[in-house]
Amino acid sequence: MYGALHSPYPLAEGALLAVAHAFTPRVESLLATDVLLDLQGLGRVWPAPEVLGQALLLSGRDRGLTLHAAVASTRVAALVAARGRAGLTVITPGQEAEMLAPLSLDLLDLADDRRALFRRWGLGTLGDLAALPAKGLAERLGPDGPRLRRLALGQDDTPLVPTRAPDTFESTLELEWPIDGLEPLSFVLARVLDPLMAALARRGRRAAALTLELGLVDGACVRRTLKPATPSVEARTWRTLLLLDLEARPPVDGGSWESGRAQSILTVTVAAEPTAARTVQYSLLDPAQPSPEKLAELMARLHEWTAAGRGGAPALLDTHRPGAFAMEGFAPGPPAAGATTPPEPRLALRAYRPPMPAQVVVRDGGPVFVSAGAGVRGPVVDRAGPWQASGDWWDIPWSRSEWDVALAGGALFRIFNDRLRDAWFVDGELD
Amino acid sequence: MPSALKIALEDLLKTQRLTAEGPPLRGEDRRGTALATGVPGLDDLLFGGLPRGQVSEIHGAASSGRTGIALAIAARSTRAGALAAWVDPHDRLDPRSAADAGIDLARLLWLRGAPGASGGRPLLSAVSAVGALLGSGLFELVVVDLGGIDRAGLQRLPGATWIRLQRTIESQPGALLLVADAHVAHGPAGVSLALRGAGASWSGAPGPGRLLRGLTSEIKAGRHALRGTAVELRASP
Repeated sequence: MYGALHSPYPLAEGALLAVAHAFTPRVESLLATDVLLDLQGLGRVWPAPEVLGQALLLSGRDRGLTLHAAVASTRVAALVAARGRAGLTVITPGQEAEMLAPLSLDLLDLADDRRALFRRWGLGTLGDLAALPAKGLAERLGPDGPRLRRLALGQDDTPLVPTRAPDTFESTLELEWPIDGLEPLSFVLARVLDPLMAALARRGRRAAALTLELGLVDGACVRRTLKPATPSVEARTWRTLLLLDLEARPPVDGGSWESGRAQSILTVTVAAEPTAARTVQYSLLDPAQPSPEKLAELMARLHEWTAAGRGGAPALLDTHRPGAFAMEGFAPGPPAAGATTPPEPRLALRAYRPPMPAQVVVRDGGPVFVSAGAGVRGPVVDRAGPWQASGDWWDIPWSRSEWDVALAGGALFRIFNDRLRDAWFVDGELD
Repeated sequence: MPSALKIALEDLLKTQRLTAEGPPLRGEDRRGTALATGVPGLDDLLFGGLPRGQVSEIHGAASSGRTGIALAIAARSTRAGALAAWVDPHDRLDPRSAADAGIDLARLLWLRGAPGASGGRPLLSAVSAVGALLGSGLFELVVVDLGGIDRAGLQRLPGATWIRLQRTIESQPGALLLVADAHVAHGPAGVSLALRGAGASWSGAPGPGRLLRGLTSEIKAGRHALRGTAVELRASP
């Protein structure tokens, strides 16, 4: 048993499907105005096809739609009847050809040239086409001729191909009683996230981003979107990331979950942005890489550092400006190929940021005494320099004379004279 | 599989396993093995390297070479494919020096303290971050730079701070290394390295064109500093 719903006017996408899905998951969407339903097995719920047809029309009416419906034993009979007759049409098995005969041939999905040809032949109704001999149609139109004749008789030529409902990964939980604080929210999030992530995993998807909406008792809505470096389908990881984000950025200015100034939560909605699952080929010989989920969780825990741009992987810039570097997100990839043996130990600079202003006594063109406070004070016992450097004249120029000096206590410092400001600074300690 | 190919693959696996010094494979427990430093002489002094699952420390005065040694150990880890973290409450790390030391910068997580921050807050934040880093189990080496922080500053930390961190790292395959001006703390099986600058070396006579060649660092290990070695830290070109 098949059913068909037809709207005389175009509807919004998904409107007809929503009506049909209320009755059966096996639904085929044809055009914006037609939908076919597989009603097999519904006889136990709907004793008569007429009752089922009325329920279909009523369901559409509840949604504000004026629909035509038909119930028949074949797909094409139901579809053509719904298109050609207003209200409800019920075709009993065996009566398809008879019921379709008076209907217009235009109700079939014909190509324009085929429709013009049939018009030239003087065919106006499905009955006219059905009355032609199949052999003659095959001689003139090839295999398409008998196929169209079978359709006109109400006989199916293809099975129903169900249209899959669009994948929406969203879950809402409305609470009977409002909740306060992160701890109860953690349990609620687990209830929302577990089935959502399971649904994603069943479809072979991962969540690239997650949007959390908290409906508060005063009607306000708190919305947070998280997008970690790597998609994940681990409910526990997402829950931790969401809780850490809410902890780091309380939804009320100046308030926090612990202080009780945040509003109570009434609804929790989580929507996932699906993406294809990542296929990773692990190497037999390379060391295991860190779990992306663990890494995302750690970076969320270090929010205090990363949010201010003070946590990440340093990267050198292509410039000669001293101390120039950038902070990049910490997302280590596979280890770089090449020698794993590091070079011999090097003297390192412990930088002062910004450089520490210093008073320097210069004699014979070189520094002989340095005083900059905080342990950087004393006569210069040895030195190397000066090394002249300058650059960025087109932007923010810099120009300096650098010295490496050893003070009396044995400490080594890099000092420089800023030639543009004519001032001395300590760049850092050599350690 | 052809026998020649099978033999070649087995040889390759054997070679890789014998030379493997990267992070542990899944399920492999390396807590009993030492974390090699890669610094000539230092591994012999430490009987293999820094003990994993322990708090160790490197301390010494300014220009004793503590930062250079710590960077060399981090370079050894990152170049072997592991991750290292550098917690820097007073923002002293120079990325150029780190790159010159051979660190794979993409595998170094650097946490920098806020500029101008004073008092105990940067240190407390740093200790909190160290707890998160150790708890994640992702890092083979976590370095905490306490250089320039005097004893009074360190005493602002809760008394059980280092014990708590030692308990955290005990179940992990990594090592926690404190870099400080003076002795701070180390685990029951951790090492304490006392460094002393033994003088800088310069190229040629004083005058234009002279270069700082490097620094010799004397390293003593153990509570009674009975064993020692000297390491030459060369200046970057």
